[in-house]
This record gives sequence, structure tokens and C-alpha cells, in this order.
Amino acid sequence: MEISTQKQMPPAVQAEEKVASPWAEAWYSFKKNKLAVIGMMIVLFFILLAIFAPVIAPEGINDQKLDARLQAPSADHWFGTDDFGRDIFSRVVFGARISLWVGTFAVMGSIVIGCLLGILAGYYGKWIDAVISRAFDIMLAFPSILLAIAIVSVLGPSLQNALIAIAVINIPNFGRLIRSRVLSVKEEEYIMAARAVGMKDSRILFQHILPNSMAPIIVQGTLAIATAIIEAAALGFLGLGAEAPNPEWGKMLADAKQFMIQAPWTMIFPGIAIMLTVLGFNLMGDGMRDALDPRMKS
Amino acid sequence: MKKRIRFMFLAFIFILSIGLAGCNNDSGGKKTGGESGADGGSSSGGTLVFGRGGDSTSLDPAITTEGESFKVTKNIYETLINFGEQDTEIQPGLAESWEESADGLKHTLKLREGVKFHDGTDFNAEAVVFNFERWKAGNAEQFYYYNSQFGDVIKEVKAVDEYTVEFTLNRILAPFYKNLAMSPFGIASPEAVKKHGDKYNENPVGTGPFKFVEWKRNDRITLVKNEDYWQDGLPKMDEVIFRVIPENSARMNALNTGEVDIIDGVNFSDVESIESNPELQTFYRPSLNVAYLGLNTERGPLKDKKVRQALNYAVNKQAIIDAFFAGAAEPAKNPMPKTVAGYNDDVEPYEYDPEKAKALLKEAGFEDGFEIELWAMPVARPYMPDGKKVAEAIQKDFEDVGVKAKIVSYEWATYLEKTRVGEADTFLLGWTGDNGDADNFLYVLLDQDNIDSNNYARYANQEVHDLFIKAQSTNDQAEREKLYKEAQLLIKEDAPWIPLVHSEPALAGRADITGFKPHPTGSDLLATVEFTK
Repeated sequence: MEISTQKQMPPAVQAEEKVASPWAEAWYSFKKNKLAVIGMMIVLFFILLAIFAPVIAPEGINDQKLDARLQAPSADHWFGTDDFGRDIFSRVVFGARISLWVGTFAVMGSIVIGCLLGILAGYYGKWIDAVISRAFDIMLAFPSILLAIAIVSVLGPSLQNALIAIAVINIPNFGRLIRSRVLSVKEEEYIMAARAVGMKDSRILFQHILPNSMAPIIVQGTLAIATAIIEAAALGFLGLGAEAPNPEWGKMLADAKQFMIQAPWTMIFPGIAIMLTVLGFNLMGDGMRDALDPRMKS
Repeated sequence: MKKRIRFMFLAFIFILSIGLAGCNNDSGGKKTGGESGADGGSSSGGTLVFGRGGDSTSLDPAITTEGESFKVTKNIYETLINFGEQDTEIQPGLAESWEESADGLKHTLKLREGVKFHDGTDFNAEAVVFNFERWKAGNAEQFYYYNSQFGDVIKEVKAVDEYTVEFTLNRILAPFYKNLAMSPFGIASPEAVKKHGDKYNENPVGTGPFKFVEWKRNDRITLVKNEDYWQDGLPKMDEVIFRVIPENSARMNALNTGEVDIIDGVNFSDVESIESNPELQTFYRPSLNVAYLGLNTERGPLKDKKVRQALNYAVNKQAIIDAFFAGAAEPAKNPMPKTVAGYNDDVEPYEYDPEKAKALLKEAGFEDGFEIELWAMPVARPYMPDGKKVAEAIQKDFEDVGVKAKIVSYEWATYLEKTRVGEADTFLLGWTGDNGDADNFLYVLLDQDNIDSNNYARYANQEVHDLFIKAQSTNDQAEREKLYKEAQLLIKEDAPWIPLVHSEPALAGRADITGFKPHPTGSDLLATVEFTK
């Protein structure tokens, strides 16, 4: 016992000396988590793939060669070709753009709206809280993919509408999270002090409460990107997301399912792409939670 | 950390084992399928399960226009005149013989004696008259086919004696007998019609080889053998069940596992695997169809004939056939297939030529192209196994000449309704002939009378209309063919469609099935089908 506590002491002291801000401290503990780093590398890999897609992909997304359909993977076509003779590798690479775009922007949308509603509900309480919280309850009562399907059917199937639908269904998750943070933060003494010196509500909200509630939002946001990518793929698979000829991964799966037996590569590669990105975001999100959550640090 | 790695390892094993279990099931299923399918293994009898893509909308053929319904009613009802086994030549049906008066306005039909309806009542001239009076009394909403085929033509139907019926017409109707052979004109039992009233379409009673037992909507329709059928030795099967399995690949799986015995709407991409399976065989339905991309002549740039012609030059039909019809189709240049009398083989097709298409677009003032909607049907049709894929190929063809197409799709009924009222720019559709007459293709699909009905392209040309009407009102076959050939030239020039293909739809069944003859009209008589094992 004694020995072990002694051994643990020096690093803690070191950390205190070297690390200046809580963010840097979080980064330090994140780096120690190997799985999280792997996750981050996967995510970075796909981001690079998305940015440099036109350079990396040997062909365009809709270069049909109907005489070269369903060819097995080869030196010419690393991932084979689909039933229009299009290069699957190129389509998967360009697909990274779509999935990351939908994932990121859908989550950003839900964060912005969710935070606003959550702060209003948490800070003002009373009937505002009641209305907003019950609205969240109602939304959470729906199976999320069902709600997304309903929204897309109303707006009409397109990638953009799928993005909106995914953003909407994720609003209550962020709303609730931020509301509970606000509820606890607003009782802190420094907020009391700010109010006592007559600071305006808006300034308290956006300069004190919001920054102090950011950590869980970042963690939740990273994990939500993973879910959003899966939801976008599901909508694409159901024919409610990206339109032809966009190489959305879920849509590629749907198009390929009739060739599952004779040309499995048409399904395998988009499937792996979805799995890897989602895994990457999940590992990274887990690592960030461990790093940012004060309770996990003991 | 360690815990998590162990957990992930376990999860990985778990996923792997699910995958392996799946593989196992698959091969196991196939084996048992072969055995269970052999239930009715004697030379005749047993149950035949027919898997198809959609449910019937009605079991009273007179009130529907939809092919899935006729597939079933063809086996419950019989018509006065029959089509040949695999063609549309006229043959005796419930009428044994017929005579035409010199002026072509009176037709006398001699009926078969000793035929009984499934409810035990007699089939006779009175029953025929009753049916025609019933259809005549209804409006076009109710009895669409009667009104479109006979509406203003049949003046009177009367029973001369117990087994003789006389039709009096207002004007000559060239395809009169072919029309009589169409499924919607199956003769129903008058007693049953009176008894069931509005519910008759759920309680069909005819004279056909099979009797109706049960209809579970969107699931199955069960028919049993008509023991008193007038043709000795038929039907061979004791029971026929029509099962609805919407998804093409799911239907194919059901055949593989022995759940069903025959399926229609086979993906052409599956044909290869069926042929290599000794337990299965493929059937091809003789082609009496056309698939086309309609160009709505009332919308946007498509109003311009040059634009429509340009789009005709832009589409590579042969590539589409090779890719999505496994070669089992011919490129179309006319709105009807070659087998129909009056087909004009001298029409010069629009060959695939993107440069020419671009030049024509430039002439029409659309040098930079334009944007347009391209509608694709959501369901597999006999003439078009996968509309969305074909649409994607055409989308690319259009893109190559600078026309940006957006693929749009609706649920099938909505799709038809919206195209009917002219909301689509360009749309995939097709037609399977009802009676093999040119009138049934050209007039029905492209006459100005049928705008808001089956003329989805909303094509109107007075000259063409005059030709059609002239052809309808003569019995001189050579003259009719000449008129239709002339009309096809005009239609080609106006280009209200991009005629795509005439295909031979593929069906598949157990290898031990004999006597199954797919009919070009799409409704198959199953009386002669049997298992030989």
C-alpha cells in the first residue's frame, strides 16, 4: 500500500507543475489511452480521404462502363466495380465526404439548437422549462430512426433533408444534457456573484454558464457524429437519403444487396467504410469522455 | 483498459459466430427445401405455390385493369374466345364456333353445352347476356375495359336460344374477337353476382379449372381444383396458391428454399445462378410488351420536338439491355413489339449518337443543356425488372449530352396517378399487350383520346388520330396494317417517347414442373401444370 502510493505521487506532482490548463491536462490523459488515439487516427484518416478525394480517387463517382459490370477487385479496380461498372474504390473515397459532412453538420445543428433550448429551459425554469422539457420527452418517445423517416417523408427524400432529420432527432439529447449542466452550474457561487453585481442574463449565460458546460457537449457531440453517420447510412439504405448517383455508403449497400452472393465486394467495402468511421468516432469519443470527465480521473 | 480489450474481443467472437451461424442456416435451408417441395411428388395432384410481386386488387376481372388480378382470375373464369397457348391467335373458348354477318355488324356465337359454374348453376346464353348487360350498365370508372373496348360499339347482346348469343354492333370493330378473349371479359355466374352484390369481387364464381377458396390480402389467394371442369383430365393440380412476395430477391430466396414452386419477376442477374442449379429451371414469357421513357410533350423544353429527338439519340439502349436484361430483350424503335401485326420494320431507329444529340439540343437553343426530372417506377414490372437502375443509366446518358436529370420516385399507385395527370417530365413506363392487336398498343398509349388515361406522354397529333380511327373501323387486315405502319412513321418523327426495349420477362420454377406455358399477355393458365417426379 504505502509503496504504491509513493510510486504514484511523482507523476501527479509532475503533471501539476507542467500542465497549465485543464484542456492540456485532458489532452495528456487522452494521449495515454491507446484505443482513443487509434480512434482519432481513423477519424483523421477519413477526414484526409474526404479532403483529398479528387486526388486519391482514380475515377469519378459516376463513370459508368456498362460493359465492365460487377468485376472482382483487381489492380485496376482495387475494390472491384458495381453493377454500373463504376469503380467502387473511387465511390467509397468520395462517400467519405458525404458521410463526414452529414455527420458533422447534423450534429453541429443539433448542438446549436439543443444548447439554446437547454439553456433557456435550465436557466429560466418554470413554464419555459416545462414546455421545452416535455417537448424533448415527446421526441425521445419516438424510436429515433422512425422520427427521421417521418421527417424525411414530409420534406422529400434528399441528402440535405436527411441531414436536417438527423439534426432534429438529436436535439433532445443535447438539450437535456445542457439543461442538467445549467441547473447545477447556475447554483455555483460565481454565478450568484455575477448576478449580484448586476450582470445581464445573456452575459451570464454565454460567458459563464455555456463555457463551463462545454466538456460534456464535446464528448456527446463526438459520439453523436458516429450515430449520425449510421443514421444517414440507414436513411440512404431505405432510399430516403442521398439521391443517385451520389456515392453515399448506405445507398451503396442498398444498391448492392441484390448482388450480395455473386459480387460480395459491392457490399463489403462500403460496409467496412461505415464500420471504421463509426468505430473511430466511438473510440475517440470514449477516450475524450475519460479525459474530460473529472470523476474518471481518480 | 484490459477489461475493455477483453470485452471487444468477446464482441468480435460473438459477431463472427453470428455470421457463421447465418451461413450454416443458408445451406441447411436449401436442402430441406428440396425435400419439402417434393410433397406432391406423384404424377399429378398436389399444391402449386406461385410467388409473385403484388397482390390482386380485385377478383372480379371486369372491374380492374391491373395485371396481377388477371393472373388469378384467368384460372377462375373463362372467356367466350380464348387466346392460343402462347400467342394471341383466337381459339374457341366458352363459344365453340362463331359467325360474322356480311356487313360485319352482327356476330353469332354458338356456346359450349354442359358447362357449369362453380356454384352449380348452368352456363348458357342467358348468363352471357346477363354479364354484358351488367358491364354495359356501369360507367367507365366501374368497368374500365368494357367501356374502352366495347363501350360505344356493342348495341345489343341477345340470347337467340339457350346456347346461341347474338351481338349487334354500331360500327365495325376490327379486334372484336380478340377483345372478347381478354381476361376482363371472363363470364361470371349471374346467381353469384346477384347474391354477393358489392362483395362479388371477394367471392368470384366462374367456370374455370380452379375454384376460389380464400383471399388473405397481401399474403395469399388459395384456389382448389374444379372437380366438374368440362375439359377431361384438367386441371392437374389439386390446389394452387398465389403468394405475394414483393421483393425480387426475397422471392428468389423463397424459390430456393422450396417455399414456392414458380416465381415471376426474376431478376435477369439471377438467371445465371438459376440455370446452374439442377433443381430449378427458367421460363421466358414471349415478348408482347414495350418499356419506354415517356417525354411529356406539354412540359418545359420537352415541348420542342427537336429536344425529344435529341434525347432519343442520347440513350444507349444496347448497353442497358446487356447490363439489366441479361441480353433477353431487343432494343425498341416502335411503340409495339414485332409480333404484333402492323409493326413497321422500315422505321429508322434513333441510333445511339451523343454528338448528334448535342447538335440537336444546340439547334433547339439548349446548348448549355437544362435540368429535368426523370421518374423511375419503384416496383419491378414484367417489362422493366429494375426501373431505378435503368433510370440511373439513362441519367448518365443524359448527363453526357448536358441534360441534368434528377431521379424521382413515388409509391406505385401514386406514381401512376401523377404521371397520368401529367406531373412528370420524363418517366419510365411500359405496357404489356392485352390482346396482341396494334390498336391495343398504339391507340391506347398514344392517341389524343387517351390523354388523362393511358397516353401519359400527352401526345396529340390529329393526323395520327385519324389513322387510328380509320384502322379501327375496317375489317380489312391489309388496310389496317398499312394505316398502322404509316402512324408509326409519324410517331417516330414526333418522338413522344424514347422506346427502350421489348423484353422476354424471366420466370423460374422447380425443375420437375411441366406444362407451364407463360402467356405473352402476362396471365398464365395453370390447368396443365404438373409435377413429374
